[in-house]
Amino acid sequence: MYDLIIFFTLLGLGYTFGRMAEAKHFKAIIEREKQNQQLLTFSERFPPAGIGPVNSELVGGNVVISVDYFKRVAAGLRGIVGGRVRAYESLLERARREAILRMKEEAKAKGASMVVNVKLETASITKGQKQQVGSVEVYAYGTALIPITV
Amino acid sequence: MEYENRTVPEGINVSKDHPLKEFFILALGLGTAVVVLVVALSFAAGWLVQFVPFETELMLAEKFSFTGGKRSEELSEQANTKANEESKVQQEKIETYLQNLANQLSAAQQLPDGMTISVHYIDDDMVNAFATLGGNIIIFKGLIEKLPNENALAMVMAHEIAHIKHRDPMVAAGRGLTIGLALASLAGFGDSVVAQQLLNKVGLITSMSFSRQQEEKADAEALNALLNYYGHVKGAEVLFEILKKEEQGVTSPLFLSTHPLNDKRISAIKNYREQQASDGELTDLPKLF
Repeated sequence: MYDLIIFFTLLGLGYTFGRMAEAKHFKAIIEREKQNQQLLTFSERFPPAGIGPVNSELVGGNVVISVDYFKRVAAGLRGIVGGRVRAYESLLERARREAILRMKEEAKAKGASMVVNVKLETASITKGQKQQVGSVEVYAYGTALIPITV
Repeated sequence: MEYENRTVPEGINVSKDHPLKEFFILALGLGTAVVVLVVALSFAAGWLVQFVPFETELMLAEKFSFTGGKRSEELSEQANTKANEESKVQQEKIETYLQNLANQLSAAQQLPDGMTISVHYIDDDMVNAFATLGGNIIIFKGLIEKLPNENALAMVMAHEIAHIKHRDPMVAAGRGLTIGLALASLAGFGDSVVAQQLLNKVGLITSMSFSRQQEEKADAEALNALLNYYGHVKGAEVLFEILKKEEQGVTSPLFLSTHPLNDKRISAIKNYREQQASDGELTDLPKLF
């Protein structure tokens, strides 16, 4: 009886706060992406031709986002029947965009004009620990090109 | 050449569907599937049990010890002390009395041929009694001490004998095994223990309704036995009044209970008494307790 009450309380808490956090995060991401629109990112290894003399430096942005209880249960149910795990799709989208933003912010602080060779790494932090609510880590990194002003 | 990073349109990875919609569709669908599975397996176990002879049940039961392993160990350690000798004699006297009562009640219930009842008495304060595989009935001292007369004890006994007559321990074993296996195999899919537990819970609650049905049938059978044996069913409801007092403050709702609620059982007995218009003398318990 009591474990059912606890379960539904956790589910409700997970849903309410998870959804609030997600809405807030997406709003912030869209806003910050606009601010950093000018700083270009490329997945190409080499910069576009004719950009002039630059210094290069490694920049990176790292983010860890926790799954909430509701997402965990929803994804668990989905895992039995298969299909798009919508609960995790939005979570990973947030993590990727946030990681790229943090990388861009670091590059901006260094005075870079663009970041080339951008790569993303994803890791599940609580892999294999079934009892735990998992977290996902996304690391974005690249080579920031900082124009040399003579 | 001019380069730009265009804004990627929103909603590629994030679905516009409300997350609760997906959740409820999945939960209801899977919940229904589990209920159907458990109901099917429960019926199958109940139906198949008639093909398992009672001798097979006895063979299964031999693998377990029902006489309280702890007590016999203690006894063997200090077998020579006089106090233990006395308690051993006392134990035998009680078991003989209980066994006799059980035999008479079994006769009143017309057990099928080859079905035997063995009663075991356990010197422990636990307020409990249960029937298990192989016609074994275990009664704890704690319960008997709370009973005011033999009629209430006979109600307990007849109820447990009814379980054995209905092959309920065997059905329960079959259900426990198949349902447990079915639910455990769900764990191979899905990566979430939480979702797993949720479905297990649904399965558990479904199977509880079957065990409540068994209890109600055993109660009815026990009342018939009491009527045959004593000529009345007075004193039978006392048992459930005592159990009600025991569990005061911790009653869970009906759907989370393996037994019918005590109030329901008491009123069922009173109904039965009114139908039979039976009344009579209560029989005292012997001075053994």
